[in-house]
Amino acid sequence: MNKPYKVFVFVLGFMLTACASGPQKPPENLLALTDAQLKIRSYQTKVFEIKDRLVVVRGVVQALQDLGFIVERVNGPMGMITAGKFAGEGHSGFVELTVVVRDKGSAQMEVRVNALFNTAPIEDPKIYQNFFRVVQRSLFSQG
Amino acid sequence: MTRVIVSIKSVSCWVVIIGVMLFLSGCARMASPESFFELSSTYSKDKALQSRFFETSNQRELISASAAVLQDLGFQVEESESHVGVLRAVKERSAREWGQEIARTFVALIGAIGGKVILLPVDLHQQIAATLTVFPADNDSKKFCSRIIFHRKVWKGDGSTGSSHIPPGEQRLEMINDPVIYQQFFSKLSKSVFLEAHQI
Repeated sequence: MNKPYKVFVFVLGFMLTACASGPQKPPENLLALTDAQLKIRSYQTKVFEIKDRLVVVRGVVQALQDLGFIVERVNGPMGMITAGKFAGEGHSGFVELTVVVRDKGSAQMEVRVNALFNTAPIEDPKIYQNFFRVVQRSLFSQG
Repeated sequence: MTRVIVSIKSVSCWVVIIGVMLFLSGCARMASPESFFELSSTYSKDKALQSRFFETSNQRELISASAAVLQDLGFQVEESESHVGVLRAVKERSAREWGQEIARTFVALIGAIGGKVILLPVDLHQQIAATLTVFPADNDSKKFCSRIIFHRKVWKGDGSTGSSHIPPGEQRLEMINDPVIYQQFFSKLSKSVFLEAHQI
């Protein structure tokens, strides 16, 4: 009598815990814009005094190639670029990034980049400064 | 006889210890994120290897001729973007190498004598990819710069440390920097478009 009773209690307990937990709700602040995110956005963005979007997209692609990235996708008219590379000693990690080039007024282009390292967002401003330095150099060499 | 077996056992023990130390030293060297967006010391040399100028105003013709050359080399075109001038093509091949198979057998034999079968994972499969860009090299768009980058992704098979199984699927990425491959590609492209390829 004892054994089937124990099994019954175990199964019942298991079922009740499954019912009690239910589907997990996403956190309410999932899409909330925090001050920290605004700060990150500011150093992920740089404005260039160039009118032509394609010139900027080509400049970014060239910069990424110079940095050893593999350009995976490019959409010129939309100004979008996706690229990635294995990085670090022994190529132990993977860096991936998305760049969006948008009009800012009639004579400027805004470049926004967000990069991930092993799926975690990169939030160090110095890293983005390095990126924009290489883009600047690439755009300058394009003339 | 017993002495010989003991010495073989100690050799296999050292092989395991050295292997573990190499593995741990690999873990210790973590990537420094600040270097992700810094130019390497070889970037201008690599760029010169990967790029050629063509005196033409027909960007589209240069891209489609490049696609045809890549098809001749066994690549499948995966993606193309004519506004910017980007093309991506890949081909899949076996990555098995005799050297790795011999090393795997040798280590397995030493391990077996010592009582532990160690199987080093070896390269099984590779995807060779080419990313090509064709950008104007001057303001009048009468000269275009074609840059191609070859790289390969390699997948390893499974293995064993002697006590635990190493699952298959570990991958690594390698840039292909053999000048001959780039020279061959540009030579074929040059013949295809009846234009001379100028080095940058």
